[in-house]
Amino acid sequence: MSKIMTVDILSSIKGAEPSEAVSKLFDVIKNAHPTNNNSFNNANNNAVSLNDLRDDVIVESSAIEKQIIKENFPNEKNGFLVVSKVIEE
Amino acid sequence: MDSQIKQIHQQLVNKQITCTALIQEKLDLLKKNTHNTVNSLLDTLALELAAKVDAKIAHGETIGLLEGIPFGIKDVYMLQGTYATASSDLLKNYKSAYTATAIQKLLDAGAIPLAKENCDSFGHGSSSENTIFGAVKNAINPDLVGGGSSGGSAVNVAKDYTVFSIGGDTGGSVRQPAGYNNIYGLKPTYGRISRYGLMAYASSTDCVGPLAKSIEDIRIVLNTMSGKDAKDQTTYISNAIDEASVLNYEDVKTVGYFKNFIESEAIDAQVKSDFLATLEKIKAKGIEVKALDFFKSDTLVSTYYTLAMAETASNLSRLDGTNYGERIESGSLKETYSVTRSENFSEETKRRIVGGNQVLSQGFSDEIYLKGLALRDQISENFENDFNEVDIILSPVTPSTPPKIGDSLKDPLAMYLSDAYTVGFSLGQLPTLTIPQGTTTGLQISAAKNNDELVLKFANFLKDAI
Repeated sequence: MSKIMTVDILSSIKGAEPSEAVSKLFDVIKNAHPTNNNSFNNANNNAVSLNDLRDDVIVESSAIEKQIIKENFPNEKNGFLVVSKVIEE
Repeated sequence: MDSQIKQIHQQLVNKQITCTALIQEKLDLLKKNTHNTVNSLLDTLALELAAKVDAKIAHGETIGLLEGIPFGIKDVYMLQGTYATASSDLLKNYKSAYTATAIQKLLDAGAIPLAKENCDSFGHGSSSENTIFGAVKNAINPDLVGGGSSGGSAVNVAKDYTVFSIGGDTGGSVRQPAGYNNIYGLKPTYGRISRYGLMAYASSTDCVGPLAKSIEDIRIVLNTMSGKDAKDQTTYISNAIDEASVLNYEDVKTVGYFKNFIESEAIDAQVKSDFLATLEKIKAKGIEVKALDFFKSDTLVSTYYTLAMAETASNLSRLDGTNYGERIESGSLKETYSVTRSENFSEETKRRIVGGNQVLSQGFSDEIYLKGLALRDQISENFENDFNEVDIILSPVTPSTPPKIGDSLKDPLAMYLSDAYTVGFSLGQLPTLTIPQGTTTGLQISAAKNNDELVLKFANFLKDAI
């Protein structure tokens, strides 16, 4: 199924529209002629080697960290953190 | 100017001043300042830490070089228990749950954080006007912008409210405000300092960068923050830069500059003539100066913004008011996301998110985003070839002088284009330092990747030579 999504939906920003200033920047790229269209030729390869991956371990958050995460939660009722209505579609 | 860090350290050790008095003096200056540099003052924490330093000195204990040295933090870094607002409505009440690696290293060394500093919201801007805390006013002329996005940090250092500050540089956000306020500002090689705990703008160019009034202070702070960090896997192991080695600058034999930067119509006549005069002085010291070819300014700016917008659209998609942030409840979950983001992001941030989603969407990605990546690779290759021919690349920081407050927001395209001289070095992930010399907004010194030491060496050379 193909569904066209507009930038306001993609961005989750009401009424968002492409801007003229940004479109002018994109026009420059459209009209450019890179000599090499292979964009993965490693000039800026920051990938990590498999041998260098950090250990996949669960790190317990400190009590203060957990407390702040709860404080940052936007809505709390009777000791529960309240999320918005779930998607019904 | 000589190292303020060393000077204050000596005063503390000799008991000429107390740390508490020093911190209180700086807090007072920050509190009453009218340049809009402060988002939140960390007075309780700072005074507690100062009392500990004083107690150590009173007990005759040795203190480290950074112990008791007051510094500022751009308000995009995490410092546990303090606000981290990114100068935005969305995060205006958000508290850091943890501390950024770079900041933790400074705390471990005993430096004392004074304030979370004003900046463009999420780093989106070149003037520090895109903020809910009021436009940052330039240190030299308060009618002009402080530069951005690390404007509050640069002005605090320039006004001596902080001894050094930690900014963030994605496309010039440390170097340009350093230039606008006549101080030093370094964007190190990408990956030298961990980005863990720095709010992500464009992850592939985001760098932690110090601002200070001397090369020596930049060196000290850089060494303290550098190093591999398992929490940011793009970091690498680097050697500390030695004090004596940066005073020996005989390694620099050839300096390059980009011809098209100087021949551009956009460059201010005075900036141009000052830059050319600087090149003559360098030649007079027996260093060869070479003109280099480079990409056109509009290509550099467009490549940078295309990639940065794509990355920021992705990075900021997590900000939807679910787990944190100023949630605005609406009919459904999707509506809640949408209203929360529409109401709480600034116009400039929304412009960049929308631009990013445009280039990442089907039908556009091949034509714009992937082409942007290909151009970036070419830019990097260009740098690699240049550094086979020259040791250092020298350039102005900005084409012109700082704009008046209010002018930049009216014309976003002009603001993007004003980043022409800084964004290329970001795309190349090169170490680049702004020095307060050469032109009215300073000079940028760049070297090959991982050669941050050579940048500091050449800065020391220019300090005496021009």
